[in-house]
Amino acid sequence: MRELTTTGPDLWCTYAAVRAHAWLGRTDAVDDAGATRDYLLSHRNPDGGYAWSRGMPSDTWATFYCTAALKDLGEPVPDPDKTLAWLRTTWSGGAFAMTPGQEPEVWATHFAARAVIEVLGDQLAAQELLTWLAGLQTPDGGLTWSPDHRSDGGDVRACFYGIAVWRALCRQAPVEAPWDVPALVAWLRARQHEDGGFTFAAGATTPCLWATYRAVGALTMLGAEPAAPCTPWILSMRDADGAFVRWAGYQVPDVWATFCAVGALAALGEPLADVAPSALRRLSQLACPGGGYTYREPDAAYDALTVSAALLDPGEENDSHELRAWLEACLLPNEDGIMYMPGRGAEVRCTAWALAAGAFRGAEPERQRIGGWLASLQNPDGGLGFWEGRGSDMVSTAAAVEAATLLGGTDRTPLDTDGLLAFVDECRVTGEAEAEAWANSPASLPSLRAGLQAQRVLHACGRPAPDAARTLLDRHRVRGGGWANQGNRVPDLLSTYEAVATADRLGIPVEPDHLRPFLDRTGGAHGVAWSPLAPLGDDPLARCLHGLLRARLSGARRLPALTLS
Amino acid sequence: MTENATTTLVDEIRTVLREQLGEGVERVGQDELLAEALGDRYDSLAALEAVSAVESHFEIDVDFVSHDVRHTFATIGRIATFVRDELEDRERLRERR
Repeated sequence: MRELTTTGPDLWCTYAAVRAHAWLGRTDAVDDAGATRDYLLSHRNPDGGYAWSRGMPSDTWATFYCTAALKDLGEPVPDPDKTLAWLRTTWSGGAFAMTPGQEPEVWATHFAARAVIEVLGDQLAAQELLTWLAGLQTPDGGLTWSPDHRSDGGDVRACFYGIAVWRALCRQAPVEAPWDVPALVAWLRARQHEDGGFTFAAGATTPCLWATYRAVGALTMLGAEPAAPCTPWILSMRDADGAFVRWAGYQVPDVWATFCAVGALAALGEPLADVAPSALRRLSQLACPGGGYTYREPDAAYDALTVSAALLDPGEENDSHELRAWLEACLLPNEDGIMYMPGRGAEVRCTAWALAAGAFRGAEPERQRIGGWLASLQNPDGGLGFWEGRGSDMVSTAAAVEAATLLGGTDRTPLDTDGLLAFVDECRVTGEAEAEAWANSPASLPSLRAGLQAQRVLHACGRPAPDAARTLLDRHRVRGGGWANQGNRVPDLLSTYEAVATADRLGIPVEPDHLRPFLDRTGGAHGVAWSPLAPLGDDPLARCLHGLLRARLSGARRLPALTLS
Repeated sequence: MTENATTTLVDEIRTVLREQLGEGVERVGQDELLAEALGDRYDSLAALEAVSAVESHFEIDVDFVSHDVRHTFATIGRIATFVRDELEDRERLRERR
């Protein structure tokens, strides 16, 4: 599987590694700090926000990670006023959303509020935000993702994020915590298991460092302590070399485990000198050549999308048994979906790609676990977000519907069809000029892919609208071949793939003579390109989509509905 | 088209691209790859802007698939050849009418 490794750094890992260095007081030990700074800056968009990868739209998650890591490195944030102005576009009345136009939730609110106050040194109006934060408390005392999620029960991550927003507001001026604090402390303490580690929510059985760090951090910010000492449990999560693993029995000490362990020990006020040498040594082993970090040794850092793509690519000759086994190992305790990288948090697109690639074929108990997890992800607005508690978007909603279909149909999973239809309607762009158009989230701009994703959701829910799909396909059809996401000028591989996959689902004919020139122009002996403008390269995801379209052109196979963005 | 006219066209293209790509474009050789000479300054988005600027300035229409823009817009010399051919085609079409 060596050729399937993720060659570049990852933003989540890079932030975690830099922050862990900062807790240890050793940002001087960040590997290739100049290149790491450049890697962080490469995520900056012209609108002043930052994206989780180059070419993606800005979001508050990436904006906080990039700006906070730059600050930890002692580097200036370029044009901070522009970044502040962008962050304010995600204010949705009451709190912040991950991107402009999405529903507010506590992940986004935490990232935006801390970026504004702690990183960029600006102020927020506290009262409206405190009212929204107060609505997060569930009847059992914990905090949840948004006031609309209150029936879901509390989650340790939501507690940490909500409390961290309140603490950030206190930096402006001290203010009372807007919750029943004794009940909140009691709920957090009840998440601690007998061995000393914490889990995220009631009913979870495997304590992990991630939950432990968030719980300990949340309690510390409230001026409270765990119910019982947990330092011995944290220190027991080290392997023979002294590096931290996520939970007992987890095979690989990774960057997130190091971040969580060091953060938890720092929050508890424990001395860090004993763990620093092994933690720094392990982080250095996870540094990428040319700056940034990934979740484990770069030559062994696979991800679920790349491995799924290798299984789906008709031109690949990999050991499918080995690849499926790797994918299935991404279904870990506590969250019943497939993770992008092991130990990171289950993600709906990766789950759809993995199921399309044949993971858990015939494994009924695991398929039921995944179905239940998908249902738990559905937000009160009817859509689904990237992972638990994230605001809804069309990409994730369509991926969830495809995953449900691969599990046996939306009627086999408890996905609420009426909710899905309501979310699709919310994303519909009204107005004569934009008839039959959909956006990735309410109030964002319409695009072909969002429209195609909406069409597939409608189709899966038994409300197909082939005339609207034809209108979309005609509007974005590019003269020389392929389809464009915006207008009808620059076609791209992902839009063209989704156009053909959706047309096939809805029984709309696709002219081979329209598809072939695009495929000829974007692929050849020297690689595959995401668009006729992009350089030919060796991206396994592009190679997979291109290969599937080639196979479709020769009538060989039905296309899975794969979404990326 | 004479060599002088081609040289003029190359200069004109440099002027058109300078607004998007900066003054560095003045120093890029006619046959030098823009992506290598300018690095990240000539990524897909910059190439798209370059195509739009050339289209607008010369009033020509670039097809992103059939015109092989990745090859055509890789060097200033190739852009000049492409523009010259498009302008000649347009002129011939006018004569036929």
